Amino acid sequence: MHRDALQEVANVAMGEAGAKLAELLDTFVRLSVPRILISDAAEVPDTLGKLLEPHNAVTAVRQSFLSRIQGEAIVLFGEAGCAELADLMGYDGVLAPSERREVLLDIANVLVGACLGGVFRQFGLELGFTAPSLLAEDTPAQRLIRADTLDWSRALLVEVNFRLEQGAFSSHLIVLLPERSIDRMRESLDQIIAAL
Amino acid sequence: MSTPVLIVDDSAMARKMLQRALPNDWDVEVTHAANGVEALQAYRAGKAAVMFLDLTMPDMDGYQVLETLRRESLDSFVIVVSADVQPLAQERVKQLGAIGFVRKPVTAEKLAPLLREYGVL
Repeated sequence: MHRDALQEVANVAMGEAGAKLAELLDTFVRLSVPRILISDAAEVPDTLGKLLEPHNAVTAVRQSFLSRIQGEAIVLFGEAGCAELADLMGYDGVLAPSERREVLLDIANVLVGACLGGVFRQFGLELGFTAPSLLAEDTPAQRLIRADTLDWSRALLVEVNFRLEQGAFSSHLIVLLPERSIDRMRESLDQIIAAL
Repeated sequence: MSTPVLIVDDSAMARKMLQRALPNDWDVEVTHAANGVEALQAYRAGKAAVMFLDLTMPDMDGYQVLETLRRESLDSFVIVVSADVQPLAQERVKQLGAIGFVRKPVTAEKLAPLLREYGVL
């Protein structure tokens, strides 16, 4: 029941994030069914690689969020989609690398804010964010995070993805929660389920 | 006679929330379906005079259910229940024959006026 409940909470939140992205890019966004995985921290890099197939290389933006439940939000962009960004954003020509980074940071910030904001509103919790920063550019998904940099033993991954109806642009939002936050989130989900 | 109502959502929690949001004084017989395939089976078994339909589901999503109903000239009052708040999503499902759109999370306050408006209640 918890997985189901979390999936539904994530589904409601991603609807809001998708609408924001649609507004930003002025196009229709297709939403996915959220995926939820629990993984040993050591296996997080491989799990990420599998989640992101068939993307070979991704550009990633990360943001930490702070609340009673804390964790990391990572937004990933596929290589092919990045090439279309200039068009989508209405720029002429090709984006300079610095412009591209700025656009990706903006998009990530909007998605993370809307999605996590939506989740935490359902939990009845306030939350804060760090500024988004570039985690990696054109990097294989398995190499995004080094297992030894995770100060956790287990992690929960929640993945939602946004595809545009036309073109190759897609982005994935992955939320990583450490063990203690997993327990606290379980309490929040308990409350939602108990209220049913 | 009770009205056959079908609740279609891949999430058991979402189905439960919807069932709780149905008006108390509405005489219904509720059936659940977890995806589009199950939904059409239930429809064909006469269990969906009114259908509450989620959009994002594995094994046949809500759009495909609406397309099938339309293609086969099937008749059900379909109310889409979705977290997708893009205006275009609402337009599309209405073009495909849905009579209403309710934004998740569903509450009794959101549902009752819609059911009254369409004379379902």
